[in-house]
Amino acid sequence: MAKGTTIRLWRRTVLTLLLLVIGGFGTIIFSLVRLQLIDGPSLQMRAVDQYLKDTPLTAKRGTIYDCNMKPLAESATVWDVILAPAYMDSKKQDIIASGLSKILGMKKEDILKRCKNKKSYYEILKKKVESDTRSQILKFKNDNKLTNEIRLVEDYKRYYRYGAFASTVLGFTGTDNQGLAGVEAEYDNELTGTDGRLVEAKNAVGTDMPFQYEQEVQAKDGNSLVLTIDEVVQHYLEKNLEEGLADNNVQNRCCAIVMNVKTGAILGMAVKGDFDPNNPFVIADKTKAAEIEKITDSAAKTEAKKNAQLEQWRNKCVSDTYYPGSVFKMITASAALEENLVSESTPFNCPGYLTFNGRKVHDWKRGGFGHLTFAQGVCKSSNVVFMQVGQKLGTNLFSKYFSAFGFAGKTGIDLPGESRSIFCSESSMTALDLAEVSIGQTNKITPIQMITACCAVANGGYLVQPHVVSKILDSDGNIVKTISTEPKRQVVSAETSRRMCKILQEDATTGTAKSGYIAGYRVAGKTGTSQKTELKGKSEHISSYCGFAPADDPQVAMLVFYDEPHGPNGYYGSQVAGPTFLKTMTEVLPYLGVEPKYTDEELQKLDGVSPEVVGKTVAEAKNAITKEGLTAVVYGSGPKVISQVPGPGKNIPKEGTVVLFTDSKSSAKTVSVPKLKGLTLAQANRTAAAAGLNISIAGAALTSSNAVSTTQDIAEGTKVAPGTVVTVTFSESNQVA
Amino acid sequence: MRDVSTAERAVPARGAGGARQTGRNQPKTRRVRKKFRVFSARGGMDLPFLFLILVLLVIGLIMMFSASYAYAYYHYNDSYYFIKKQGVFAAVGVTLMIAISYFDYHHLHKFAIPILLFSYMLLVLVRLMPSKTGVHRWISLGPLGQFQPSEIAKFAIVLVFAHLISLNFSRMGTFRYGVLPYILILGVTALLLIWEPHVSATVIIVLLGCIMLFIGGVKLRWFAAAFGLIGAGILYLVRFTKEFSYANTRIIGWLDPFTTASKELFQKTWQTRNSLYAIGSGGLLGLGLGQSRQKYLWLPEPQNDFIFAIVCEELGFIGALIIIILFAMLIWRGISLSLRAKDKFGMLLGIGLVVQVGLQVVLNLAVATNTIPNTGISLPFFSYGGTSLIILLAEMGVVLSISRTSSIEKT
Repeated sequence: MAKGTTIRLWRRTVLTLLLLVIGGFGTIIFSLVRLQLIDGPSLQMRAVDQYLKDTPLTAKRGTIYDCNMKPLAESATVWDVILAPAYMDSKKQDIIASGLSKILGMKKEDILKRCKNKKSYYEILKKKVESDTRSQILKFKNDNKLTNEIRLVEDYKRYYRYGAFASTVLGFTGTDNQGLAGVEAEYDNELTGTDGRLVEAKNAVGTDMPFQYEQEVQAKDGNSLVLTIDEVVQHYLEKNLEEGLADNNVQNRCCAIVMNVKTGAILGMAVKGDFDPNNPFVIADKTKAAEIEKITDSAAKTEAKKNAQLEQWRNKCVSDTYYPGSVFKMITASAALEENLVSESTPFNCPGYLTFNGRKVHDWKRGGFGHLTFAQGVCKSSNVVFMQVGQKLGTNLFSKYFSAFGFAGKTGIDLPGESRSIFCSESSMTALDLAEVSIGQTNKITPIQMITACCAVANGGYLVQPHVVSKILDSDGNIVKTISTEPKRQVVSAETSRRMCKILQEDATTGTAKSGYIAGYRVAGKTGTSQKTELKGKSEHISSYCGFAPADDPQVAMLVFYDEPHGPNGYYGSQVAGPTFLKTMTEVLPYLGVEPKYTDEELQKLDGVSPEVVGKTVAEAKNAITKEGLTAVVYGSGPKVISQVPGPGKNIPKEGTVVLFTDSKSSAKTVSVPKLKGLTLAQANRTAAAAGLNISIAGAALTSSNAVSTTQDIAEGTKVAPGTVVTVTFSESNQVA
Repeated sequence: MRDVSTAERAVPARGAGGARQTGRNQPKTRRVRKKFRVFSARGGMDLPFLFLILVLLVIGLIMMFSASYAYAYYHYNDSYYFIKKQGVFAAVGVTLMIAISYFDYHHLHKFAIPILLFSYMLLVLVRLMPSKTGVHRWISLGPLGQFQPSEIAKFAIVLVFAHLISLNFSRMGTFRYGVLPYILILGVTALLLIWEPHVSATVIIVLLGCIMLFIGGVKLRWFAAAFGLIGAGILYLVRFTKEFSYANTRIIGWLDPFTTASKELFQKTWQTRNSLYAIGSGGLLGLGLGQSRQKYLWLPEPQNDFIFAIVCEELGFIGALIIIILFAMLIWRGISLSLRAKDKFGMLLGIGLVVQVGLQVVLNLAVATNTIPNTGISLPFFSYGGTSLIILLAEMGVVLSISRTSSIEKT
């Protein structure tokens, strides 16, 4: 028995041993094979993930330049304030919260709450603080012997140095430097660049591991954009558009485009009722902002604010559709000329209305124009003539040219949010529709489509690609890409284009579009006044002017349109939009180096130049001035002229007066500028002379005897030196359509 | 079979329980007994076993140093904090081990019951100590650190069982001598440990007791009954008591240590998850000695229960395998030499002590590899802990003492 039990002891011990060694260790080895050899790489990756602290390095966003390399939008270094509450004890939390609340202007409790998140190493307290705030924080850290608890991480902030300038083109960026509108959004990928990262190995409390592991992937800065926009042109455009907006009490904003007719490059594009891209979320329209502030219901307020933001961001030039009205007649006319259906001298009869399917469509002049040629029909902007031209074209040819001029599809301009046009298709077009579309009603198009088509009319028949970016540069300034300026297609022949230019020049000289006339610059243009027929029961209009210059070699086209003008000038395109075109082109054309060519008639009325007489004796000076056909008026009792107004070399009207001052007492004399608006040329001249001032006349006064002054460049009541030249703009009072 | 008869002849002559001697060998035993002295260096000790202990101890110290390096630096500003202490403990332990190996283990018969009672006293005492994170497991020894009475309890159980079984070896088939006393002793010990509470020690001690009874020859049906009862008890505790509900989150964390289901779970599985990251990072060849990254505060207290994870990370699968093989060899050798001990008491005592080491190694490695749910069991020779290392080496000294009587080839 003893032997048996001992054998049992042996057997059971060996069994235990085998179980322990083979079963126990076997299982462990099996686990190790699985963990180390099979799952090893993935476990190691997860482990590495947990020690590697990954800090993003923000790439610098590219600059946006105008065509002359003036920076319009730039990114500058700012700092994000990051807290690492894991390193803070409660005493430090308090110091930090009270210190930072003073520097950053935040509530202490809010900061304290962030500090309590003990697990965190990365609490973004405030983004994009500027360098003075940064130095304050650095000082605060130094004073309180703080290190890792507060960190300042480099970031970038977008600056638009001209403020609310070209904002619909430029757009704006969000808090993460992402483009949200304009070219900032359209070219976001180019501008953004590639963020880099700094990877460091950290232990579980976030300090460095004793071994160094640091890998930096450098950020690749974004590309820069060179726009076709010319800062100077844009400036003129915005200034004049802003004035027009105020003068005409425009209800629904306005916009204007200046375009190179040959390349499609947009030189200026402005929307008024826009925003400051530095603060895109602030409602720029003060009255509207005040109205929104008054709303008490918070949901309604948020909604109103959101809508107002969306409205001010909307680029009217590409996102709004409108009835072009009579401006569109240049397209109908081009199509009819190209198809040889009419010529300049083709006779038409205008009884004042035409009847389609029993419905009368009236001309803007109720009584009609009687017998007139096609060219006269354009200059008088006769609806009846153009309805007949439309009939001659028929639905098929009309639709063909409508598409050919680019109205059926988007222009493909490099800006976000371009709308599609809304138009009658060939198959659904009735005779009434055809009549209406021929005069620019019924079909809704975008302003950018209209000016692009106008360029085709002007430039020899080529439909160009409108664009706002000309070149993309890398961060070292090397050209990455140049935008092609190849036209898309030829729509009408060069001959048709030449004939149209002539007809439109005539229109802008003597026709309905003469409010855009600029002496010497051979302006061609067409006005448009369209009724917003979609607004039932309300009579609202869109007033526009579309033209180009010079007519014999078109360079620049401009379209301006006011949506719902309620001002004293009425709603006709010639009176509302014409002056903006005139003022802008008067400044833009000389700037762009377009040479003036004056006709003899123009030369007669042209301003002269004031001779230099300072330092001469009074008698000598008078003599010199009279020789130029000018009048001299002397103030003071000194023997010699010490100053003169207008100054030497300054413009002075023919038969104007040069004022000579002979002593210092007299040169301090001023006169008050009288009201020069609402006068005929003769009245204005008399009033100015009586006040001792010179006037320079602009606009329709040179070509029309019944023109009335609408603006003066120096406001009524301003104190100026006698002899100062006041520029007065004239337009014809009964101009229409 | 010759070895077996040798062992049979070596049934102890003296015993507290009035054991009957096997008459045939009586004179010989008497003669042996006369030669007994407190320190008797009759046979040589088992050199392979000693060698394995020392190799494991040296590797353990090196790895403990490496694993504790960063933790010591960050918490005590001294990378050598743990190794300095552990080195001293190891030196004391080895000295003690060698000394005990000269000590005649038969004297332990006399100490069996007193040691058991002493351990009970300590278990009651520890319950009165201030709790540490809700449990009462440690008794502070002032500058010497602290120690766990459960370490003593383990030794006491092995000793008492070896003592009683060897005395009643031929009656182990009966309930009265083979089952009842052990159930009582195990029951009391288990209750005292659960009271702390100290589940892992309870599991080890119950397992150890059962293995000794199994080897001692208790009829298998008793085991069947006991396992049925324990199983039912565990089921009841898990299913119907609130106190054990924490075990449930432990199971969830065990099944998916990468869970992010809740912040609490994520925190609870932190240790296991980082242990697996460490083991996985090691791959086949490891990151190299001292190159662990997980020890940089990712794996909490890497010098304690989870030291094996750092071993795996630094030495790779190959290194871990070598260490497992060394442990297996130690157990194999320990059991082999115990089986060839001169008497049943030596056999049972040696086997018990070696099995205890084996159990701890297997359970510790199983926890580190997430093979079983996380529970605090240290790795013999590796984990930091002065008293436990000293007690372990002392126990190994007892095994070495037994080896002196063993008929195994000792070189």
